[in-house]
Amino acid sequence: MSAPSRTHLEDLGLSSTCVEVLRHLWDYLDDEMTPGGAVRLRAHIATCSTCRAYEGYQSCFLEALSRLRAEFHAPATLRERLAEKLKGQGCGCWEKVRKEQP
Amino acid sequence: MTTATFATPTTIGELSDAIGVALDISGPRGESASETRDAAFEREALPWLDDVYRFALSLTRDESDADDVVQETYLRAYRSWHTFIPGTECRRWLFTICRNVFLRSRERQRPTVDLEDGEQDAVAAGSVYAAAREKGYDALYSRLDLAPALREALDDLAEPFRSAVILVDVEDMTYETAAQVMGVPIGTVRSRLFRGRRLLQEKLLTVAEDMGFVPATAGGER
Repeated sequence: MSAPSRTHLEDLGLSSTCVEVLRHLWDYLDDEMTPGGAVRLRAHIATCSTCRAYEGYQSCFLEALSRLRAEFHAPATLRERLAEKLKGQGCGCWEKVRKEQP
Repeated sequence: MTTATFATPTTIGELSDAIGVALDISGPRGESASETRDAAFEREALPWLDDVYRFALSLTRDESDADDVVQETYLRAYRSWHTFIPGTECRRWLFTICRNVFLRSRERQRPTVDLEDGEQDAVAAGSVYAAAREKGYDALYSRLDLAPALREALDDLAEPFRSAVILVDVEDMTYETAAQVMGVPIGTVRSRLFRGRRLLQEKLLTVAEDMGFVPATAGGER
C-alpha cells in the first residue's frame, strides 16, 4: 500500500498525541484497546476538538455500517427450501424454519 | 435404560455421543435423543438464519448462490450437531461452517494476503478524513441515504477485507470471534479490517462526489 499522505495529515494540524489517536482510534471504538490505553485516548479526545471531530466522523462511519444489518433477511423461498431439506433429514423442527425470527 | 459400552472418546463428537449414550438422553417428558437434539438445534441454530444469510450474501454477492450456501450450511450444521459444544457461541460456529462451504463451493484456497500493518491503514484513514473535510463531506456518514452506496461499496470490496468488515462492523463480532470464523490470527483480522475500512471510505468519498451529494460543511472547519 502507499504511505499515508503527509501533506493531508499536516493539513489537519495534528500534534504527536493526535497522531496516536489516528493510530488507535479504531481499536478504541471497537473496544479492543487495553483499559489503560482507552483511558488515555478518552482523556485526550475530551480536550482536543480536532480529535473529537475525527472520533465523531469515524463513529458515524461505523454506525452507518452497523445499520446495514437490519436490511437483510433470509428470503421466504430459502426458508421453504431449507425446511423441506431438513424435513428430509428427519429434523423435527423443520417447520420452524419457515417462520421468520422476531 | 440403554446399556452403555464405555470406550475412550477421541473426538468431541465421540465424547458427546458417549455422554448421550451414558445418559440415555431422554428429556424430562421422555423425549427421544433426536427430539432433544432437534430442540437444541431449533433453539441454538435457527435464530441465526438471517445472520448466516447476510454473511453468505456478502461472501457470494449473489442471492441464488447465497441461498445455496445457507442451505448447505444448515444441513451440515444439523448433520454435525453432535460436534457443537453446548454453551459456546452457535452463531460463530455457523459462520465458520458458512465460510468453509463458500470456500469449497468456489474451489478456492483460503485467500492469503500480506500481513501489512493495520496501524498504517488506521493512520492513512486520517488522510481520507482530511480530504473529506476539505471537500465538505465530513458529515457524509450521517446521511441515511448513503446506505445503498455503502452496500455497493461493500460489495465491491475485495476479499478477504470484505469478510473482516462484515463480521466486525455489520455482525458486531469481536476481533477474536471474527478471527475464529476466518481461521486467522487476531492481528490478521485487525489489518484486514482496517484496510477494508480505509478502502470503503476512499470509495464512498468518490461516490459522494460522483453522485453530487451536497457537502454539509463546505470547506469544513479549520
